[in-house]
Amino acid sequence: MILLHHIPFSRSFRVLWLLEEMGLRAELKHYSITDGSLRAAEFKAISPVGRVPALEIDGITIFESPAIIEYLAETRPEHGLGRLPGDPERVAYLEWLGFGETQASILGSLNMQHLFMGDPTPASPVMMKLEAARLGATLKAMDRVLADRDWLLPSGFSAADTMMGFNLFSAPYYVRLDRFPNVQAYIARIEARPAYQKARELDGQQEFYKQDFYDVPEA
Amino acid sequence: MKIVLHHAHEARSMRVLWMLEELGVPYDVVLHNFFDKSLRSPDYLAINPAARVPALEIDGQVICESGASIEYLCELFPEKGLGRPAGDPERMAWLDMLHYAESIGQHVANLTQAHIVLYKPDMRSPTQMNLEARRLLKVLGRLENRLSDGREFVMQSGFSGADCAVGYGVDVARRFVAFDALPRVAAYRDRLVARPAFKAALPPEGVQCIYTQDFYEAPDV
Repeated sequence: MILLHHIPFSRSFRVLWLLEEMGLRAELKHYSITDGSLRAAEFKAISPVGRVPALEIDGITIFESPAIIEYLAETRPEHGLGRLPGDPERVAYLEWLGFGETQASILGSLNMQHLFMGDPTPASPVMMKLEAARLGATLKAMDRVLADRDWLLPSGFSAADTMMGFNLFSAPYYVRLDRFPNVQAYIARIEARPAYQKARELDGQQEFYKQDFYDVPEA
Repeated sequence: MKIVLHHAHEARSMRVLWMLEELGVPYDVVLHNFFDKSLRSPDYLAINPAARVPALEIDGQVICESGASIEYLCELFPEKGLGRPAGDPERMAWLDMLHYAESIGQHVANLTQAHIVLYKPDMRSPTQMNLEARRLLKVLGRLENRLSDGREFVMQSGFSGADCAVGYGVDVARRFVAFDALPRVAAYRDRLVARPAFKAALPPEGVQCIYTQDFYEAPDV
């Protein structure tokens, strides 16, 4: 049995989506950031930091989403979604996994400052502006790469693309995507994938964002 | 094989520098500096358009993510035993620890930004700085638990590349959170900083560094 501890529209969506791409159906256990379920003793026993994802699979529990993605791709090579050691795209694959988390860390910081610190937020406008600019720079880098290919790797769709499952949902709340037409086209290709659509159905309602766009407040 | 590491003192590239020292393989270092324009030079932008370190050049390929660099170096030099390859009983835990280093790294980076990059107090948010310090402490709690069975490194079987990733974050983290409640993490850091390869990756005396204080106290809210 596969059990995924999950919050809609969080990093655990990456795992949910990849499992669907592999045709693996996990049992989902839903949590919420608002109802205290992440801090409950029962979940603390599973996740020492009280964060999702946590994936119970093959008799083990894994927490870090890029590690889960690497593990699933390696242990289920028949799906061809990893680029394993010796593959000419190995370096690029590892790099995109890392890039996905670098970009997500900026989003995590923006989410924290805009959404989770109170209203009005006592966050620093200077830092919020800096983070939004950094996010824009990562999207610009993606836009450049996606000018001449459909997916992050030249050979086609891979598990590295599923790292974007959280990122590209969150990014448009902080940066206008019309500057990045190739990223927009990439998102449309992602949304056309049946496995992605199925994962979205299973995902649940997001509770993070209350408005369509979050501008940096005036200093 | 030609290996070139682009590095800035005390930056995340120190993970890779330390890793190269642990491997004991030949490499060259190109030193960059956050305090001048060297990361923005056209030559460097051609290597890493994001103008950040690290960038690790290996026979013409460039890797800019430090975790990816460590993982790939482990695969390039399997005889050094610093990775836990597919099929190894510790493989899953090793991957989890390698990426756990980023969970530490994110909070450390946010705190570095708030305390140091935002150079005037009125640019900063005391609430955010306190919150990030608390989150960092919580994330380090996972390591404290992991070390509770008496293991010396994040893998039961001994030192590995994952320690270069996690250990760098731990070493910076002690500038932002007190380790009083994390005695095993503190002892782990002591073991790591005593390693000759770690010492070789430290900046030389007297150069301009990112961190100028031993401890950065979160402001009162």
